[in-house]
Amino acid sequence: MHQPSPREVTTPALTASVALLKPAATAPRVWRAVLAAIALGAMGCAAPARDHAAEGAPAGLVDDFGDTLRLSRAAQRVVSLNPVTSEAIYAIGAGDRLVGRTHFDGTPAAVKQVADVGNGLQPNVEAVLALRPDLVVLYAAEGNRAAAAALRRAGVQTLTLRTDRIADLSRALHALAVAVGNPAAAQPVVDSVRRSLDAARATPAHPPTVFFHVWDAPVITIGGGSYLDELATLVGARNVFGNLAQPSPQVTMESVAQRNPDFVLAGPTAAARLKTDPRWRAVPAVRDGRVLVVDTALVGRPGVRMGEAARSLRALLDSATRTKP
Amino acid sequence: MTTTRWLLLWGALAVACAAGLALGPVALSLGDVVRALLGGGDSQAASIVRDLRLARVCLAVITGAGLGMSGAALQGTLRNTLAEPYLLGVSGGAAVGAVLAVVAGVTAAVALPVAAFVGAATAVGLVLVIARVASGRADPRILLMAGVVVGAFANAAIMVLLAGAGENTVRNALWWMMGSVSAAEWASLRWLALDALVAGAALVAVARDIDLLALGEDAAAGLGVRVATATRRIFLLSALLAAVTVAGAGLVGFVGLVVPAIARALGMRRARGLLVSSALIGATLVVAADVVARTARAPAELPLGAVTALVGVPFFLVRLRRAA
Repeated sequence: MHQPSPREVTTPALTASVALLKPAATAPRVWRAVLAAIALGAMGCAAPARDHAAEGAPAGLVDDFGDTLRLSRAAQRVVSLNPVTSEAIYAIGAGDRLVGRTHFDGTPAAVKQVADVGNGLQPNVEAVLALRPDLVVLYAAEGNRAAAAALRRAGVQTLTLRTDRIADLSRALHALAVAVGNPAAAQPVVDSVRRSLDAARATPAHPPTVFFHVWDAPVITIGGGSYLDELATLVGARNVFGNLAQPSPQVTMESVAQRNPDFVLAGPTAAARLKTDPRWRAVPAVRDGRVLVVDTALVGRPGVRMGEAARSLRALLDSATRTKP
Repeated sequence: MTTTRWLLLWGALAVACAAGLALGPVALSLGDVVRALLGGGDSQAASIVRDLRLARVCLAVITGAGLGMSGAALQGTLRNTLAEPYLLGVSGGAAVGAVLAVVAGVTAAVALPVAAFVGAATAVGLVLVIARVASGRADPRILLMAGVVVGAFANAAIMVLLAGAGENTVRNALWWMMGSVSAAEWASLRWLALDALVAGAALVAVARDIDLLALGEDAAAGLGVRVATATRRIFLLSALLAAVTVAGAGLVGFVGLVVPAIARALGMRRARGLLVSSALIGATLVVAADVVARTARAPAELPLGAVTALVGVPFFLVRLRRAA
């Protein structure tokens, strides 16, 4: 099957995380997460990567469910049940090993040629096994625990990776690179992502405040320390619900009005609906037409394109701030 | 029941509504609220009071009054103080309608209430048909059992629909099933209010039948009531009233069960008084519960159905103890 080379697929956008070695711009929580990621990386990924690079037999990697990866040789047939890790597998040049993906995978375009095994959460274990994988990459959601256990009982290795925040990406890239027997492939991607994130970084004197509209009934937004909150902070904006601890808290419409964001960020469909829904008139940003349409497929996914996401978010805010009355 | 008690009921509702208009994350003075209600004030305050708070209070009043009346009418007619609108397949049918709309990905704002109403009406029709086929007359016990059967079937249908649905669909459907008046907006409120008024007035108009049926079928028949027709009519009106509330606010549990019990505890005996006082008490309860739902854990919102159940269960336990 024809596939583009991994570099050409991923180059412009590589994004992620370890870049946050600039504590001034980030909250203490983010800082702790970075330290944790570095520590985990040191324990879990870096050392075995060095030990086993030669024979390409990854082992000893502990994933986010606490399972240890034991592969007798580099993974050849990989099912990725998380769009972020599918993208990352292409980015490290192992796209030809991918034999299964989720329904929501779309980038790079070649991924569409790979078998679709559902929405990625609580997967149908038999459908996954039918693809004869030697490695299944799962997202670290509690609902996936049973599937991970069942796959391991069936003799298939699983690698469960949390990909919730900017810092998680570098760790996921290193772990995946180890699993496919090419540990050196991760660092260039990590560096590239870091560079593009740095390029989008901004620290304006008066950060514009933003409200992320994720869902309408109930109204769900983005809380502090989650990926989009980090992204907003990085491009010099302040999330009005950044003080809430949950990653995607449910809030009332009136509390949005009370926090009075400069801009409302929403996907294309939601943005259109906001403008016609009389209830949202209570929020000045909506009433005055300060609703910015976000490319949700790009911006919402904490993957290797997060640098591109940061750039698009910054461009959106920059042009809106300039035209704001 | 004395005039004083009626004044107390109206007063309680007025206090609850005032709290509903005055309280919220945005601090507004009473003056701001009054100015906004009269059409003045700055546009931000006006929008918050009229588009958010007043709309919510109105939907809460319709929901509480509708469920309270519906429960009072059913408990009298079926001669069973455990009867309530949700037991008769109304909630299950409405939920199937709403979940179907959500699963089908219909996004129009009116789709959910309409689908819920159609679902509820279908379920009620089914209950009536089953009861008629089973007994040939409107036996209260058969009606209750048919309601339970239709409700169980609806639950199974919901599970099948949600088992294959995506995360977003499940979230939408669950949120709807937990009850909330946060979707209140004027375009649909007008229709809901009109429907609720018509069905409520019709129930008050047949209050005498409810009183007579409460004496037992034979006694009622002896006093000139056409038992089967009257039972079916009351049943249908109660179910439609409950369906209107479900269409507007989703499933708000316990109101239909506990409100008529409160009305009886206040000394209401005759159907007309029971119906009107249940409407007042139900409205007060749901408006107050909504204030709690949106302020207790601000900026988040608690499910309205959970708050009404938290109020309803202790009251019911106290009554149980007194009855034992």
